[in-house]
Amino acid sequence: MSTDLELHIPLHVKYIQSLGKSKDDLMYHLTAHLRMNAIYWGLTALCIMKHKDALSREEMIEFVMSCWDDEAGAFGAHPDHDAHIHSTLSAIQILCVQDAMDRLDVDRITKFILSLQKPSGVFAGDKYGEVDSRFSYIAVNALALLGRLHELDTEKTVDYIRRCKNFDGGFGAVIGAESHAAQVFVCTAALAILDRLDVIDQDTLAWWLAERQLPSGGLNGRPEKLEDVCYSFWVLSALSILKKVSWIDADKLMQFIISAQDPDNGGIADRPGNQADVFHTQFGVAGLSLLGYPGLDDLDPVFCMPASVIEARGLKKGWQALPRQPTL
Amino acid sequence: MHGVKRVQYSKEALEAKRQRDQAKLKEYLALTHDILSRKKNNDMCREAFELTTRLLRVNPEFYTVWNYRRQILEIDMIPKSSAADTNDLLAEDLNLTTALLKQHPKVYWIWNHRRWCLEHVPNGPTEEDSNGWRMANWNKELFVVEKMLEADARNFHAWNYRRYVLGTMPVRRSELSELAYTSRKIEANFSNFSAWHQRSKVLTALWESNTVDPVKSKEEEFDLVKNAMYTDPGDQSVWIYHRWLVGDGGEAALLKREINTIQELLNEQPDSKWCMESLVHYKRLLLQKHTTSFQPGEQVNLVESCIGLLQELGALDPARRQRYKESSEHITRLST
Repeated sequence: MSTDLELHIPLHVKYIQSLGKSKDDLMYHLTAHLRMNAIYWGLTALCIMKHKDALSREEMIEFVMSCWDDEAGAFGAHPDHDAHIHSTLSAIQILCVQDAMDRLDVDRITKFILSLQKPSGVFAGDKYGEVDSRFSYIAVNALALLGRLHELDTEKTVDYIRRCKNFDGGFGAVIGAESHAAQVFVCTAALAILDRLDVIDQDTLAWWLAERQLPSGGLNGRPEKLEDVCYSFWVLSALSILKKVSWIDADKLMQFIISAQDPDNGGIADRPGNQADVFHTQFGVAGLSLLGYPGLDDLDPVFCMPASVIEARGLKKGWQALPRQPTL
Repeated sequence: MHGVKRVQYSKEALEAKRQRDQAKLKEYLALTHDILSRKKNNDMCREAFELTTRLLRVNPEFYTVWNYRRQILEIDMIPKSSAADTNDLLAEDLNLTTALLKQHPKVYWIWNHRRWCLEHVPNGPTEEDSNGWRMANWNKELFVVEKMLEADARNFHAWNYRRYVLGTMPVRRSELSELAYTSRKIEANFSNFSAWHQRSKVLTALWESNTVDPVKSKEEEFDLVKNAMYTDPGDQSVWIYHRWLVGDGGEAALLKREINTIQELLNEQPDSKWCMESLVHYKRLLLQKHTTSFQPGEQVNLVESCIGLLQELGALDPARRQRYKESSEHITRLST
């Protein structure tokens, strides 16, 4: 393997393991509101790197359960934090990957999620009412994992997403908002789960997505913006769902992601030379998986979870990543 | 974490930083514990409210604390206040979020709280002028959001908030003033696609309501875009906007005119990817929609020209060569 393209898996595993052990670090506590998401990111990255067991399954499940907000009937990001649809999805995803869905109160969570749908069809994040097409995706993803998609008003949900579509083929956070690659991912993936890709102007959107690649090989999220490793996933997942990953230069993107690794302490950053974090580590590894990087497990770009987990639940949709390379 | 440079600290430096942080950490954890315990006990007193201010200044992403703060306002403070005092309370919270946004312009929770404050502005100051406070607050919001867009003209939180504020003004502003705003933002920087996007939305509304003459206004837009294309033919914002302006290609004459304009620019800038890409796009629209009006030989010429351009594009922009190849195949199929 040529060293300049090597993904430092052992270092990244060690980095993810170290994240839970920095409890005397101020930053650890300042990010408590992201803890549930961070565990989902770390676990997914570990699964894709084939090191699922690097974190204790029992401890993880107990942590997730300790974040249950019994008043709301859903999960917060951390014990004693309020329930939110985003941390609730992460909790479901973690328990799903850990094969511990029997711990969930499916009825109450379903009720919580459905209660957040607004008359326009969009979902709010919690009872305080911020709405965003991200939350529509989260609701659809969570209900699919819970086996409760049939309780959703699909027409209404799709209708709101359709109204977020712009002339450039992309989608914004709300009606009228500018297209953004992360919103494109959530809207495309939600439509994929609901079998409604007909809503998308596929050629226009794939063109817009392909134009996110910059000379460095990295992808940006909007026209005339800087590249960032996390867009490797937002853009690639949408391209996979549209079966158009070949419309960008996979080798150059791979090099860009690899170059954003921290070669000393592990983890992947937003850009080469920057400080790593678990969010970019996960989305960098996810991007590499979709690009066929050798030695990784398949990631399902629709649910952003290990493909084997989604297949086992019979939820796989017709996406297409690049074939897994035997070696570099 | 975005845009933070990686620094390799020595063991000693790390240890020194850890020591320094210990006091801060202890204080932060004690404050967090205090607030979350009070929240559990439904403590709605003023002191708890002040504690949330302290914590949110350190960590404005702590959404549970924002929620608690709103609970205290909603359950205790607002019901106990006169309308004028409520308006003042909300103004204070708006000021707090303004200060926080300066440091954290992309934190969703701060923008959310701002919106919540706005939605709780009471009627007043008088029965006759029941929208007076709202008008004052909404105008101030536009001012703040313009400051935010001066600091970062692409901040989508600020743009989304701007659209929200404009859409809920107690007395609607004319879309014409928003059109003028996008003109200013675009003149300041042609690359600002956020402003072009906003312009496409504003113009659509203006054309639908016939506030401006759609035909004349479109021509003015074509002039503006042409100017921008010539200024920097490599800037994709302008080309994407041009695509919107041309639309679905129903008018053959318009397509042909724009093809000529772009061809002229390509003659001056023979390496311009976006000229070539756009020529292929508009020529393909002609091939898809206007074959019945073609002169003899026109179809073959268009197909050949597209295939030639796509070959050049493949060499010039190899990252996307597969797309150019597929376009070429598609156009070949159109001609058979």
